[in-house]
Amino acid sequence: MAGNVRTLDISPVGRVEGDLDVRVDIEDGVVTNAWTSAELFRGFEIILRDKDPQAGLVVTPRACGICGASHLTCASWALDTAWNTEVPRNAIIARNLGQLVESLQSLPRHHYGLFMIDLINKNYKNSKYYEMAVERWAPFTGTNYELGVTISGRPVEIYALLGGQWPHSSYMVPGGVMCSPTLTDVTRSWSILEHFRRNWLEPVWFGCSLERYEEIKTYEDFLAWMDEKPEHANSDLAMFWKMAVDVGLDKYGNGLGKYVTWGYLPHEDKYQKPTIDGRNAAVWMPSGVYDSKSDTHKLMNQGLTREDVQHAWYSEGSGPVHPFDRTTAPIQKNDVDFEKGKYTWATAVLHAENGHLEAGPLARQLVYGGGHMEKWQQQDPLVLDMYKKMGGASVALRHFARMHEAKAIYRKIEHCLREFKLSEPFYKKPVEKDGRGWGATEAIRGALCHWIEVEGGKIKNYQIIAPTTWNVGPRSGKGERGPIEEALIGTPIKDISDPVEVGHVARSYDSCLVCTVHAHDAKTGKELARFRTT
Amino acid sequence: MANLLWLQGGACSGNTMSFLNAEEPSACDLVTDFGINILWHPSLGVELGQNLKTLLEDCISGKIKLDIFVFEGTVVNAPNGTGHWNRFAGRPMKDWVKELSAVADFVVAIGDCATWGGIPAMAPNPSESQGLQFLKRQHGGFLGKEFVSKAGLPVINIPGCPCHPDWVTQILVAVATGRAGDLTLDQFQRPKTFFQSFTQTGCTRNMHFAYKVSTTEFGQRNGCLFYDLGCRGPMTHSPCNRILWNRQSSKTRAGMPCLGCTEPEFPFFDLAPGTVFKTQTVMGVPKEMPPGMEKMRYIKLTASAKAAAPAWAEEDMFVV
Repeated sequence: MAGNVRTLDISPVGRVEGDLDVRVDIEDGVVTNAWTSAELFRGFEIILRDKDPQAGLVVTPRACGICGASHLTCASWALDTAWNTEVPRNAIIARNLGQLVESLQSLPRHHYGLFMIDLINKNYKNSKYYEMAVERWAPFTGTNYELGVTISGRPVEIYALLGGQWPHSSYMVPGGVMCSPTLTDVTRSWSILEHFRRNWLEPVWFGCSLERYEEIKTYEDFLAWMDEKPEHANSDLAMFWKMAVDVGLDKYGNGLGKYVTWGYLPHEDKYQKPTIDGRNAAVWMPSGVYDSKSDTHKLMNQGLTREDVQHAWYSEGSGPVHPFDRTTAPIQKNDVDFEKGKYTWATAVLHAENGHLEAGPLARQLVYGGGHMEKWQQQDPLVLDMYKKMGGASVALRHFARMHEAKAIYRKIEHCLREFKLSEPFYKKPVEKDGRGWGATEAIRGALCHWIEVEGGKIKNYQIIAPTTWNVGPRSGKGERGPIEEALIGTPIKDISDPVEVGHVARSYDSCLVCTVHAHDAKTGKELARFRTT
Repeated sequence: MANLLWLQGGACSGNTMSFLNAEEPSACDLVTDFGINILWHPSLGVELGQNLKTLLEDCISGKIKLDIFVFEGTVVNAPNGTGHWNRFAGRPMKDWVKELSAVADFVVAIGDCATWGGIPAMAPNPSESQGLQFLKRQHGGFLGKEFVSKAGLPVINIPGCPCHPDWVTQILVAVATGRAGDLTLDQFQRPKTFFQSFTQTGCTRNMHFAYKVSTTEFGQRNGCLFYDLGCRGPMTHSPCNRILWNRQSSKTRAGMPCLGCTEPEFPFFDLAPGTVFKTQTVMGVPKEMPPGMEKMRYIKLTASAKAAAPAWAEEDMFVV
């Protein structure tokens, strides 16, 4: 390295949900190397060991207060596959609806609360959009900040009608759901959804009808749409895009160029007898791995998931293992060693053939652009088209992909509300038994799944891989950087006392450290005794 | 103007998410209408890295007056009491918590983790977690029994997993509008205005409770969840059926048994095999009764209630 390298430790980065520490080497004002470090360990998998098989329904939504419905979805499908339950059609719809409204909530909340307020940073004072940005997006006082943050609470009112409250309900259970909504719950849900559309989605976010936005299929369509009418040009979506490009957010944050999604939203008529192997063929939103170098799509297979702890604070074997085979033990003295050793609580999550992969809305959208799915499954060419024409990913495109999902999420919520058959069952009582299960979904911020092994009527092993575990993981044993570490390379840092650009990259992944660092299983009960408080 | 600092320890951010669901006042109203100046919050604050460290140090030195310190999540002590499994801004979070609690006028614990340890402190408590002034039912916690903040109050505990946004905003408004003197706290330092009544108070299933009509399995619209499905509504102190969740409903209304999450023991029985969503009984009689109820009287009461139950009580009341 040249002599002008400066090393900067940023603790914490903040506004990423949880505590993320980042170390970057900066040479001539540009990041040349990076390490991401998760600094909190709570030990949820250790807690779950030997508990009631259904304990995950109570505990795992609390791994993450932001994606609790997503955790609950995984926890219940994991038990369904372990117990070979039957899940009634209505229950599949009720679970999908809970997942969807949580995701819809997160769009304005993350956009205004966590992402956009960086654009009023002093670095951007010279942008022609700066004044507008302050007026609209300043924290607490910006006109659209206040509107967006407040209205983000509405979609999860639908969750409360199903599960009693959001966050942290446990209404999804093996064999179905606890609730049995009535007509008034459904009509109330429609009203809430309509309110969200008429007060934010169309007038503020799109500046046009949902139908008009749905006509956009290519990058050129999108650019033409922005200038078609003053309402479009002045929308928060267009203003975000124009300012992001104006201040260069389309120029860095590329990453690894390899992506993963589990797929989600089981089809209500295709997954009533859920199995691990039957899932790919049963989900509305297809699973997939997209490799941009070869421009190829393939389905994702949970059997190819690996976790590598060489650079994470666990003491166990050296090679990558499948989560079912984790015998993880946290190490006591978690000293940070960026050079050759361990520096984070996040494991490196790998695909057995493709290594590190990026998870999240961008990954999903790039997969939906492929041709590997069945006709009835989701297809959407826009983001892949933009990706190719813009030369890959960036902070701006990654965030765009997230917000673009409003369209499909909204339509799928409508589908759920139409498809309930209120006089039919929502639950079929299952027989409890031993077995192995796997449940997956897509939290708004990406691929989430749970593995469970039930033995002797209690949990033998419970493993969670969260989206941020994929994204914020450290180097693999082979030395490949984690997705965010890689995405930080090339990031320009204007002011090292306020490295907001690092924040942009981390927040474009919508990192959530609170459930990354859920943690892992210790080897024996005896070892656990060391961790007891009293 | 009241300066408020909000930090998270061993947390899931669920209380923050719940807080952001608030209306009247919303999180924004608190700032614009009630003059609460949010110095920093992990999900909302602008500063990062060194700038945040400086802000925290200025609070501790008194350069910035800290009126309200809100803590969400457990105090992580692992490994071996050092707190290094939860580092924040370059040092163990527990060290920040100690110093900030000492200078704040009011210290508010939000959610079960900060009040009594919650789920992370469940056996075997791998992160050696504590609440600010309790560990489960045991008084003391991280700050110790004797702790009082500069305004002379112990930690104000707003439990729940998560706590309801109105419980938080109303306490903050009370403090910001000079009504802290009206706060009365129960033995667990919970504001009585919320936690004197029961979760069952206002539950739509009360008629079924009275006539001992049970919801025997999930997905039934009728019946009370107490008798078979492990509902803790009659034994739990919270206003969940007085102040509805997300302005719409409550768990018991929707068909989910109350888990007792505003009480120090949550999650009850440490989720041991056989205890989840199942009422614990001896010879068909619940092991735990509504507070103050004596077992023989309970048996007599429910036997005659069942005998007296009108026919409609067994039929579906909440129809499509």
